[in-house]
Amino acid sequence: MNSFITIAGVTLIGLMLLVLIRVIKGPTVIDRLVAVNVIGTKSIVLLLFSGILFGQLDMFVDIALGYGLLNFIVSIAASRYYQHRKSLEQKGKTS
Amino acid sequence: MEYIAYFFIVVGLIFFLGTSIGLLRFPDFYTRMHAAGKGDTLSTVLILVGCIFAVGNQGDLNWILALKILLIINFVFIGSPTATHAMMDVGERAGAKPWNKKGENK
Amino acid sequence: MADLPIWHYDTLFLTLALLFGITALAMQNLMGAAIVFGAYSFLMCLIWTTMGAVDVAFTEAAVGAGVSTVFIFATIYNTGVSATPNSPRIAFKIFAGLIAFGTGAFLLSALPDFPDWGDPKSPVNSTIAPYYIANSITDAHVPNIVTTVLADYRGFDTLLETTVVFIACIAIYSILRIDNAKSKVTEPDIITSPPAYDPTDSLIIRQASRIMVPFMQLFALYVIAHGHYSPGGGFQGGVILGASIILLSISFDLKHVLQQWTEKKIMILTALGVLIYAMVGLACILMDGVYLDYAALDSVLPGDEAYARSHGILLVEIGVGITVMFSMIGIYINLASNGRFDRGL
Repeated sequence: MNSFITIAGVTLIGLMLLVLIRVIKGPTVIDRLVAVNVIGTKSIVLLLFSGILFGQLDMFVDIALGYGLLNFIVSIAASRYYQHRKSLEQKGKTS
Repeated sequence: MEYIAYFFIVVGLIFFLGTSIGLLRFPDFYTRMHAAGKGDTLSTVLILVGCIFAVGNQGDLNWILALKILLIINFVFIGSPTATHAMMDVGERAGAKPWNKKGENK
Repeated sequence: MADLPIWHYDTLFLTLALLFGITALAMQNLMGAAIVFGAYSFLMCLIWTTMGAVDVAFTEAAVGAGVSTVFIFATIYNTGVSATPNSPRIAFKIFAGLIAFGTGAFLLSALPDFPDWGDPKSPVNSTIAPYYIANSITDAHVPNIVTTVLADYRGFDTLLETTVVFIACIAIYSILRIDNAKSKVTEPDIITSPPAYDPTDSLIIRQASRIMVPFMQLFALYVIAHGHYSPGGGFQGGVILGASIILLSISFDLKHVLQQWTEKKIMILTALGVLIYAMVGLACILMDGVYLDYAALDSVLPGDEAYARSHGILLVEIGVGITVMFSMIGIYINLASNGRFDRGL
């Protein structure tokens, strides 16, 4: 069971590297925001995998629950910023 | 009980493979949001259900632990599609145009 | 635990963290850099989890990947600054690179002097750590050794850290807070233009926040109270409580939150937490003990002396949680509304 969870975790991180390519490449800022949201949701799963490997899942479930609640706030705050500013480039004073 | 856990985790990983390839290869902002919002939420829920069965295999699963993982599933299921909706709203207001096969609206 | 396959995770997390850091630094758009730094923060949380430091990982997840990214968004919203790529001359770049690499090499040259990973003969592990591990349960009946060290054995440090959070909140108040009627500051157009977006448009976000905020607050109270047995404690619970009110203020209007949590309430309650912490210490002196020696409160609190220390730790954690919650709310409202307390992000 432990080796299976290790292989599953390593596969998950490898797939997260593919999503990282979208973070680097994404033409607009919203593409990067979407990819960071996906990475955040998967890191909840990675926390639970670490918990199973350590053998003490009851410690790590609290952290995963707390992070699952907070992942939502960053995406909502960023989209609220862009709803106020109405365009995706930067304007305003420079310096 | 182990094999149910293996099955759910493998199916969840297959969905996540689809999500990440879709996020890379889709040509347009809206289609990429489809891949990210739906595929990501579903694969997370499936892997977490597999984790409930995997913990049951390790001995001393009390029902509180399974209940907490169910709570995580609940909040991911509510929060992640709402975040996708908010980002899609922003993209539409900023004027992203849907992809056309002839390459007119890029 | 010596045969854990953790090194696979460690190298992969380190690679991801490096890639995220380089991406965040190379980006020109400030919002994009802030978003990628948020992702970098929760990779640091995962790295600390694989090291076994769960309390630190919880704090990093709550603060770095949650609240502080929202603070940066609120600051960018109100300043409207963009990063223009002006490239300095090549000699300046070489000079800056030499200083950076020189400092880095100088710091890394101290690396061979460190003890090995988990060495039982290192100075920390052979003198002070065995005392904490052996005596935490018998002295204070608290299984979470980190909580005992933070709130009981090293209680002065935690008192001063809470005061530092309080001072940060006061500092931001004193810099940013402007009285609307008396100020004649002219602000740029990007701030004085009316908001382009009506918050009553988004029914889905409001409904989802209505469902999630009570559970967040209940979970945060659980984290504060259960800090004796699981990773958590006052600081993490306070940050999650503050984040729940910030979520309300983002998805609804800032005015609705200000009707419930008026400025006077926020300021009094921020100070109340530090007062609770200091008063517990003073009560210990009044009961013929030393400052912050909870065993002196034995006659007032139920149970024997060890349980008195456990209850003393709980009282102190409640104080820390209250201060941190209202500091987060106060800092966010000041940053988002540019000190005017009328409308925000």
